[in-house]
Amino acid sequence: MDIQRLKPHFPWITLLVLVIFVGLNDPNFLKPANLLSLAGDIVPLFIMALGLTFAIYIGGIDLSAQSMANMITVVASVYLASLGIWVALLCVAIGFALGMLSGFITTRLFVPSFISTLAVGGLCFSMAQWLSGNRALNMDAAERDALFGWMIGRTGIIPNELFLAVALLAICLFIERRTTLGRALKAVGAGELAAAASGVNVARFKMLAFAISGALAAVAGLLFAVKLSGGAPTIANGFLLPAIVAVLVGGTPLTGGVGGVLNTAIGTLIVAVIRASMLYFGVEATQQQMVFGLVLIAAIALTMDRSKLRTVK
Amino acid sequence: MYELKAVDKKFPGVHALKAVDFQVKRGEIVGLVGENGAGKSTLMKVIYGAYQPDGGTITIDGKTVRFQNPRQAMEKGIGMVFQEQSLISNLTVMENIFLGYEAQFVRLGVINWKAMAEAARKQLAKVKLDIDPATVTASLSFAQRQLVELAKVLTLEERVDGDLVILLDEPTSVLAEDEVKMLFRIVRDLTARASFIFVSHRMDEVMELSDRIYVMKDGAVVDVVNRGGATVEQIQHKMVGRNVDREYYREQRQKPYDDSRQLVKLEDVGLPGRISDISLTLHPGEVLCLVGTEGSGREAILRTIYGMRTPVTGHVTMKGARIERFTPQAAVAKGVGYVPRERKVEGIVAGMNVYENMTLSQMGHFSNAGVLRVGEERKLARDWIGKLSIKAHSEYADCGNLSGGNQQKVVLAKWRSGGSDIMLLDHPTRGLDIGAKEDVYEMIRDMCDDGVGVILVADTLEEAIGLSHTIIVLKDGRIQKRFDCEPGKKPSLYDLLHAMI
Repeated sequence: MDIQRLKPHFPWITLLVLVIFVGLNDPNFLKPANLLSLAGDIVPLFIMALGLTFAIYIGGIDLSAQSMANMITVVASVYLASLGIWVALLCVAIGFALGMLSGFITTRLFVPSFISTLAVGGLCFSMAQWLSGNRALNMDAAERDALFGWMIGRTGIIPNELFLAVALLAICLFIERRTTLGRALKAVGAGELAAAASGVNVARFKMLAFAISGALAAVAGLLFAVKLSGGAPTIANGFLLPAIVAVLVGGTPLTGGVGGVLNTAIGTLIVAVIRASMLYFGVEATQQQMVFGLVLIAAIALTMDRSKLRTVK
Repeated sequence: MYELKAVDKKFPGVHALKAVDFQVKRGEIVGLVGENGAGKSTLMKVIYGAYQPDGGTITIDGKTVRFQNPRQAMEKGIGMVFQEQSLISNLTVMENIFLGYEAQFVRLGVINWKAMAEAARKQLAKVKLDIDPATVTASLSFAQRQLVELAKVLTLEERVDGDLVILLDEPTSVLAEDEVKMLFRIVRDLTARASFIFVSHRMDEVMELSDRIYVMKDGAVVDVVNRGGATVEQIQHKMVGRNVDREYYREQRQKPYDDSRQLVKLEDVGLPGRISDISLTLHPGEVLCLVGTEGSGREAILRTIYGMRTPVTGHVTMKGARIERFTPQAAVAKGVGYVPRERKVEGIVAGMNVYENMTLSQMGHFSNAGVLRVGEERKLARDWIGKLSIKAHSEYADCGNLSGGNQQKVVLAKWRSGGSDIMLLDHPTRGLDIGAKEDVYEMIRDMCDDGVGVILVADTLEEAIGLSHTIIVLKDGRIQKRFDCEPGKKPSLYDLLHAMI
């Protein structure tokens, strides 16, 4: 059996091995209640990773996702009182528009996406600081529960976030597998020049990929704000690295074209298990980012298809 | 002295080499021919150490050897001159020649450029190339670069003891005729220093240069022919397994085109630095061939019609309507199809399957409000796989894994299935074997019968003459001459060359 054919199966094998490993060490880990609450807690990160998948699928990256989520927690906290439920629409629209901006900068001004999204991320951060006056904001608890309580409650023992996650995953999966948008994104990721020579409007689809990434980062921010009942310009810091890890460990390579949102779901679960095991093995919170950094390097170094990549810059 | 015995190589699902015996004697030039997918490249990779055989032995002077990588093979005197030019274009000639072996010129960490230039001159003398070793490689012609590559491989002579075996993979594909002659003269002179393995699609060249020719088919050596032991047709028969149509370019199927209608009309089109004052007309059923040297503006004309470039002067009219916005999307909507030269980069998307590739240019026809009707896509792909006899296990086959000819058929099917009736073909037969080339020629005639207009940039002048109704000769971005090419009254090679240069 050669390694290339096994490769697509690495993510879920990794997940299984990790679950068994942690389960053997910590019998409580495998209890359904524990697993479900673990899964529920990871949902904001998952939604961000879901969006990032689109950016990475076309061979780009979205480094603004975390700042976007940060800013949206502030926006949601500030405008919940005046806009009510419509604040959700505002958040998603802002995310979509700023993602579009990243895409515009990347495709029309020919700025690589890691720079354009980094810059747009800076924009988001400043807006969040300005809008919040650099303070942590609180939502009115009663209003939050009335309008967005359904997001964070429980149905039986299942956290409601999971329903949201599954619904978004289903939508994204549909986009990826069944729509012209998904097909075009695949073509752009796997062979951008051929897609362009086939008359595909590459620039438009690329912009859409970044817009989806921005919109989903906004949803992640909104959910996070609802969960914490408030927002602050740095509240979601520490999300970006695990979200990128989730996409890449899931099996969507930086070169794009393969993998997809289902892979990211598995990748996110891997991140969740790693996170839980760190708690169990007593890794301090301050060291968690380091672990994710190492996992990221290891994951890319082990899975990079070097035949496709001649040089790394 | 260099010998392969019963060498076997398997890949998942493919038996690439079946017990191949292969021998190179000292000072010999051995030809290697076969259709695409016959196993030539695999065999070469085994010889120069990129692949390790699964079975059989490799011996040099009777001693068994095993190479883990090309570097080990080089240490035993086996060098490779690559088809894709492997020189780094922004380095000087001497830096390229000694790339990776600069240590011999280094004193105290500093390179002695004079010594390197001297040594490089010695290597260049071997291939009779009289250029300054400090020339930047990018400024050399293709032929000169090919010779520099050869000189680079010949540095093995000083580095290894024992005999050299040098592989030449399609060395003539970018060379003009006199340059090929010069290369052959040099290779013959060099047989005093090395043996050669010569791989080419151009049968006449292989016959001219080689002392013996190995003919491969389906991963096995089907025959070894001595110089003068067989005619071109006989060898082609062995390669393909059937007789090659004498009417290679299907001239008997060339019918007059319909000059009452115009598909494309260019009037005084110009792109500064590329083309100027280009006027031409394409009619239904016509094959219009653009002939010229590299950089004469052939590709710029194709790309302008396809909307990838916007002309600065002049007008483009398609089917009676003046084109205002130049984008590929607009061109595709007008019925233009483009088969680019770089098939693997621009033609197909590797990693996507057959039906995804075929509908890429026409997803609008297979979707409602952005949702694809995959069932119809698959049916379309199955139809065209049958129609063009594309060798793919199903419509789910990854196009990146198909052979060159089948990839090209997928690209053609992409446009034809979408109803494109203005086809721009840029080197559509490049790198294809004879059987696949004939299939493409057949398809071009089929398209003409259907009233499609074809603008062709051919791989060779013979192909241009054989296929076209009209030939337009370009030089430095301007039209030099226009030839009508009715069957029986076709211009000769000489006529074309005379106008080109």
